[in-house]
Amino acid sequence: MAIDMRQSRPLILCVLIGLVSLPARADFHVFACEPEWATLTRALMPDAHVTTATSYLQDPHYIEARPSLIAAIGRADIAVCTGASLEAGWLPMLLQRAGNRKVQPGRPGLFFAADHAQLHAPHDHVDRSMGDVHPEGNPHVHLSPDQLPKITEALAQRLGELRPEHSADIFARYITWRVNWNSHREQWRESAKTLEGHSVVVQHTGFIYLLNWLGVGSTVDLEPKPGLPPSASHLSQLLTDPALDKASAILIASHQSRKPAQWLAERTGKPVVVLPGTVTDDPETDTLAELISMIVNRLETSVAEVSDGGF
Amino acid sequence: MPYPSLPFSFALRRVFRFRPTISLATLTLALPATGAMANELNPDVSLTLDGYYKQNDTALSHRDQGFGLGHTELSLSSPIDDLFSGRLTAVFEEHDGESEVLIEEAYLQTNGLPAGLSVRAGRFLSQVGYLNGRHLHEDDFVERPAAYRALLGSHYYDTGLRLNALLPTPFFWQIGAEAFSGNQLSEGDEDIGVYTVNTRVGGDLSVSQSWQAGLSYLHNRQTSAEADEGGHHHDHGHSHEAGHAHSHGASYTGENLYIADAVWKWSPNGNTREQQVTLSAEYLYADDLNEFATSDDVHEGWYVSAVHQFSPQWSAGLRYGEVELSEAHGDHFHKQDLQETDVMLSWSRSHFSTVRLQYTHQSATGFSKADNTVAVQYVMSLGAHGAHGY
Repeated sequence: MAIDMRQSRPLILCVLIGLVSLPARADFHVFACEPEWATLTRALMPDAHVTTATSYLQDPHYIEARPSLIAAIGRADIAVCTGASLEAGWLPMLLQRAGNRKVQPGRPGLFFAADHAQLHAPHDHVDRSMGDVHPEGNPHVHLSPDQLPKITEALAQRLGELRPEHSADIFARYITWRVNWNSHREQWRESAKTLEGHSVVVQHTGFIYLLNWLGVGSTVDLEPKPGLPPSASHLSQLLTDPALDKASAILIASHQSRKPAQWLAERTGKPVVVLPGTVTDDPETDTLAELISMIVNRLETSVAEVSDGGF
Repeated sequence: MPYPSLPFSFALRRVFRFRPTISLATLTLALPATGAMANELNPDVSLTLDGYYKQNDTALSHRDQGFGLGHTELSLSSPIDDLFSGRLTAVFEEHDGESEVLIEEAYLQTNGLPAGLSVRAGRFLSQVGYLNGRHLHEDDFVERPAAYRALLGSHYYDTGLRLNALLPTPFFWQIGAEAFSGNQLSEGDEDIGVYTVNTRVGGDLSVSQSWQAGLSYLHNRQTSAEADEGGHHHDHGHSHEAGHAHSHGASYTGENLYIADAVWKWSPNGNTREQQVTLSAEYLYADDLNEFATSDDVHEGWYVSAVHQFSPQWSAGLRYGEVELSEAHGDHFHKQDLQETDVMLSWSRSHFSTVRLQYTHQSATGFSKADNTVAVQYVMSLGAHGAHGY
């Protein structure tokens, strides 16, 4: 297959120019470790090119540093992640493999939500016999009605620093977001009045910021230790836990196996409520405010059912 | 030995700590609060314990029969400043009653050079093939495939320099080159004994499936030197099967080594925590074994591995591999071949502990030790636990 060099030269030139100009495109590329940060970034910068590393069907602790993610973080102008060791098993590997200078630790292009929030249960002393406990505190901060505004404000500020020409727009969108959030928060506060004092069984501490804010107890956990999957012996032990009787429902996240919760449900008659742990592609839960409203509604329903059922 | 105990307590306290979160700002805020926070500046310490019981000796194995310690690793790593990070990995091994400390990694790595470039310098694992760049404790089977044990000494590490580039394509495409002293693979007088080039592509097929494929070439300039001295080395019996060959380079080398590798992974909705299937395969081919080699005298090997992590704590796996080797005897070669099947079941209480049961079936010609064996192995990670590759 002979190729005429005179003819192919413009083609080669085009390919070369194309390769060289790719990184210099004006688009703003965002790498979001979890979908909640993707939706927040989109609210502030609707035109940004956002890649989301995980979905509500995945456990964000256990993500592989797979090739597509290396390529995506290699293009990113900013990486927006939770921090507090949530991504310790994969983000450092992505950063190292991609070698993208803009998003390296210490650069403004690496944003950790947990750095701008007050975390629950930080530990001075942690060892592995306690399970997968993060010394910085519980990283699942994205469902906290009070912490989110601080995080979003910090994110807006960071995006504005990286794109000064858009900073006024970003700030205006932040104000809109904040007004919307505050009005939602008033509704959740109303709901909290009926929910307060009730309790649910949980699996891992993914919903704890919201549950605490609502005054809903969550002391019974299907996990024997944080991060360890529910074991038969632990579940049998739970059956004798006096706190179990008071629980209105068994609350698990979409990415978790249904089996342990169903096992407990069969023996206690308590309903299993499966909720997305973060925003989804479904238009009804594709923003954090809608997601929290949905979770609050579901909790209200199960609490009401329990009262009707005469427990 | 006052040092090991010192960083250790720190490491345990800061398990799972995510280095990048430590900005200067948090440090200054934290310092007055508690003295313990000053430990942030110490390197991450991680220790891997690997022990086993093996029923019988097997061919080309680095693990002797009976109770034994495998690859006990002590690793220190830390960012150095905003441009460099570094790692030191020392491996403790015991063979025939003699203890050895080997430096497996001692390198600096750049973070964030322009144009997607990265440089690694010092001693490190070569990135040829799929398995070679990974730490042994990440493996799914007790030992590497026979082709790796013969041609790369299970894992080829050496002192040298690496330059990698991540190309700005919409899919993952990396190219890289390495230059090594070469003395960990075969002895010789060249200053730069080994060159490698490597390319890797990969991506997602769907939310549940991902893949990666790679091609590598390793050029060993010291094979002829080895043939002069090493020819005698292999003359009498099967000295490469003796314990001393365990990790000092490969027993079988050639001037050119080509490796093709492919990996495919599947987990429902991409949720690897609950379930994952990993299929991987590699093909290795070496020629120009020494100055006496004809075009028929080559080394060739391959393996296919399937591992199913069917629940968060349990995995089962099956691997089949073959290797055909040409063992140098002065001016001629003796053909050897080995077929190996491994079946394994492993249980991980947490992400940091694994206990593995494996049955290995070997059939061979030209190897005295080929045998079937049952092995039980544990791999435990203490302290900081680095992020894993794909």
